[in-house]
Amino acid sequence: MIEIFDGAMGTMLQAGGLKAGACPELMNVEAPDVVKKIHRAYIEAGATIIETNTFGASSLKLAHYGLESRVRELNFAAVKVAKDAAQGQAKVAGSIGPTGKFIAPLGDLDFDDAYKIFYEQAQALAEAGADFLIIETCIDIQEMRVALLAAKDACNLPIICQLSYSEDGRTVTGTDPQSAAVILEAMGASIIGVNCSLGPEQLVPVVKILAENCRVPISVQPNAGMPYLENGVTKFPMDAKTFGSWGAKLVEAGATYLGGCCGTTPDHIRELAKAIRNEELGIRNEKTIRPLMLSSRSKTVTIDKTLPTTLIGERINPTGRKKLAAEIREGSLLGVKKDALNQVKAGAKILDVNMGVGGIDQAKMMAQAVREIARITDAPLAIDTSDVEALEAGLKNFPGRALINSVSFEPDRIKNFLPLAKRYGAAILILPLTEHGVPKTAQERVDVAEKIIDAAKNCGLSNGDFLLDALVMTISADKDACLEVLKTLQFYREHFDLPTTMGLSNISFGLPNRPLINSTFFAMCLAAGLDAPIMNPYDELMQNVLKSAAALLGKDPNGLNFSKLAQVATDKPIKKITLDTLSAIKLAIQEGDKDEIAALIKRAVDENFSADEITERALTAAMNELGEDFGSGKIFLPQVLLSAETMRLAFDELKKILPAQETKTRGTFVIATVKGDVHDLGKNIVGALISNSGFKLVDLGKDVDSEKIVRAALEHDADIVGLCALMTTTMIQIDKVIADLHAAGSSAKVMVGGAALTQEYADSAGADAYAKDGVEAVRLAKNLLGD
Amino acid sequence: MIYNAQILSIDAAETRRYAGLRKAEHFGEENILAACEEALLLLEVRGVWELYDYKNCTVESEPPFTIAGNSIIKHLDGCEKVICMAATVGAAIEQEITKKFERGEYLASVLLDAAATAAVEQAADLMEKNFAAKFSKEGYKMRWRFSPGYGDWNLTAQEKLFKISGAEQIGMSLSSALMLEPRKSITAIIGLCSIRNEELGIRNEKCSACDKLDCSMRK
Repeated sequence: MIEIFDGAMGTMLQAGGLKAGACPELMNVEAPDVVKKIHRAYIEAGATIIETNTFGASSLKLAHYGLESRVRELNFAAVKVAKDAAQGQAKVAGSIGPTGKFIAPLGDLDFDDAYKIFYEQAQALAEAGADFLIIETCIDIQEMRVALLAAKDACNLPIICQLSYSEDGRTVTGTDPQSAAVILEAMGASIIGVNCSLGPEQLVPVVKILAENCRVPISVQPNAGMPYLENGVTKFPMDAKTFGSWGAKLVEAGATYLGGCCGTTPDHIRELAKAIRNEELGIRNEKTIRPLMLSSRSKTVTIDKTLPTTLIGERINPTGRKKLAAEIREGSLLGVKKDALNQVKAGAKILDVNMGVGGIDQAKMMAQAVREIARITDAPLAIDTSDVEALEAGLKNFPGRALINSVSFEPDRIKNFLPLAKRYGAAILILPLTEHGVPKTAQERVDVAEKIIDAAKNCGLSNGDFLLDALVMTISADKDACLEVLKTLQFYREHFDLPTTMGLSNISFGLPNRPLINSTFFAMCLAAGLDAPIMNPYDELMQNVLKSAAALLGKDPNGLNFSKLAQVATDKPIKKITLDTLSAIKLAIQEGDKDEIAALIKRAVDENFSADEITERALTAAMNELGEDFGSGKIFLPQVLLSAETMRLAFDELKKILPAQETKTRGTFVIATVKGDVHDLGKNIVGALISNSGFKLVDLGKDVDSEKIVRAALEHDADIVGLCALMTTTMIQIDKVIADLHAAGSSAKVMVGGAALTQEYADSAGADAYAKDGVEAVRLAKNLLGD
Repeated sequence: MIYNAQILSIDAAETRRYAGLRKAEHFGEENILAACEEALLLLEVRGVWELYDYKNCTVESEPPFTIAGNSIIKHLDGCEKVICMAATVGAAIEQEITKKFERGEYLASVLLDAAATAAVEQAADLMEKNFAAKFSKEGYKMRWRFSPGYGDWNLTAQEKLFKISGAEQIGMSLSSALMLEPRKSITAIIGLCSIRNEELGIRNEKCSACDKLDCSMRK
């Protein structure tokens, strides 16, 4: 059955007398006849569902007009006028638009505050008698999640959820249609769709992806092409006939609720209705099996026996990790974030998040961890906690569809965790435990799992929401522990045909050589049907077993991925070995070989070279050549800096081995970034190169006033004063410092540099030299001192 | 309006460019990737913007802000509205850049600095994506973002732009020398003009609009 929505409201209101800058929703009470006429025009054009004039009738939007106290009144009036117009010929959908703000942490609107705003509007629309609620034009999945949650709590009406996508096929905040479909279906959207932003042509692929990834009906309301402005009026180029002609393609892609958004008129809707009146419904894959799909804001991961094994990374867990636990206790999440990024890099597709540290507010920490992790990775998360508040905090703050780790058959889990799974659209990891403990045999585990599944289904969950844990016990306590796990995996597959998981390492507890036991066990489990192990992705042996098992089990055709393992990185050339020691040092400096430099210096000392000889013939010589290469554009500043780093290690080593041998200094160089200027990286670079070129460096830092610079120049009997200024607003300080130096009788030469400076400026300020970069500064410094 | 954009990975090619390594193709790939990853951990992305009408070279903010400078006036020519925006990646990354240098990790420090610069630009790009979605519906096209100090737009414009963009709301401050803090921050103005008025295909011409021809980052 195809339903036809109406088209644009705003432009019709303007045509009906809405003044620029006035509140469109106020027309519901001040000019209901105008609104009614628009509804009638659409119904007569063939619309079977009309949308109320309430897109901006939330308290937050109405506050722009000082009308925030009239939410209920304006929404009620809108439903009334729509129903009057419909006269039973069309259904009425209560329109809810976005708040215009982003939900934290992307914006400053708190999740709970947004909930209240949406709840208030949804409740008013429902009580006034709307047949549907339609949440539309959202560009952020988190705002859609909170709106849907509020709408479901406020009423029992079917809820339509429509996001807007940009030309790259994602919403502004990065959500792809697949993830949107997965997240919103799980949270209980009745119809999922897309509206606005793009024309029908660009929305065909979006509709297709939505249709392929959920089972609820799909809706689509395109704009009449991409708009332009003419004499201050926004116009849309697509004529009604062309618009209508896209209807068949949209139906074919899977849409059954079609209408128009910006720029569409009753004519567009008439053409659309005409074009698809006799359209065969698209062949929507009537999937009986819904696979287990988890989504982040911008990515979906499917766990299924036909797909490669999915790694669930277990490292974000303070249990047995003292340092991480201490960090979390102090409120720092740096280690957690590092583990998130590194596990993903190591191949984890889902990240388990456990904040189980004693003495902290777990819910608060879980919320924060989930937010921070979700900001830097796109892996879906598993919320791993036994604390119901922490669980809700995690589920609420995760802008996607998470996995709950875990639900056992213990009464409090069944009572508290399952409703949260349903509410936030999460999947559950089923742990076949009861309050009496762990069932010993595979058959008993299957029985317990079945009870949990029954309870979950009673809560509204269904296949596609379940991941079964085979429950690993230790073989040192029970000789059959491994065999029971293998049998459990097999029974799970036969009995439920649902995906499976387990934490592996418990199997070897109390035994020597645990990695061997663990990896052998892992291979056996993979063969028995393990789909998504919870493991340490950094464990190389386990990763290798996974790759070889994939080849053995037909998941890596021809062992192509496995073959990559065998390609050992080619060895580094060993050219330095054949060189004499000083040449080898020179080369090591030039190549920035920090690993070898200390040993080479030691070798040179053993060969009885003096510190000065090593400095002059190897280190300085290397820097000279680098300077030339830099000057001629063969190498670039970061490369010179790597060499300087290596040089620094060389000097450190020399000092360590020959503490008595002072190397000669070329002179004293006092350096500072001038007052008012807080940039210091450029100054630091110059300082590093200068100090590694035989000068004694006195670095005064950034934002240094003239007086301090003059004092330091006199005190250290500076040969050169280097002044750095990055901005046109701070470079005038240079003139002052030079004047003050002269007045104080300093004989130091002055070198200046920085992004805003030029040779001309340096000359007019009376500087002795202008260096455009650090390498140049070294060359000029030597020149200034007559080298 | 606050929009703290989500950055999932920092553009390594841009980081390479900001580090002045665009022409050194074979140098430091691993170091650059490491810097991008580390930067990701340290980012505290925040962004804010306000929309104003624009008439006769004046942003109709309260108080009004008259634009001076040939390049910016030309750039905003024909625009009816402007977005004034500010974005930052926070102070934590800056502290780490300084610490690294102090520890003698010169290269890592410079690359982290470049990654932070790339990240601020990415955050601003993501904000622009939001503006594009929002304003293209109304028939506007965006000119690329322009900051005080570009072309002949004097840095002194920073003071007013800072104020009317709402930069203070995201914890930014402006020093007496008109420097933004945290240092890895930007303010910018984006012109909106009717698509029909927009005949110039001006995008990604930032470098060619700049007269610093010897810049190592010039595209």
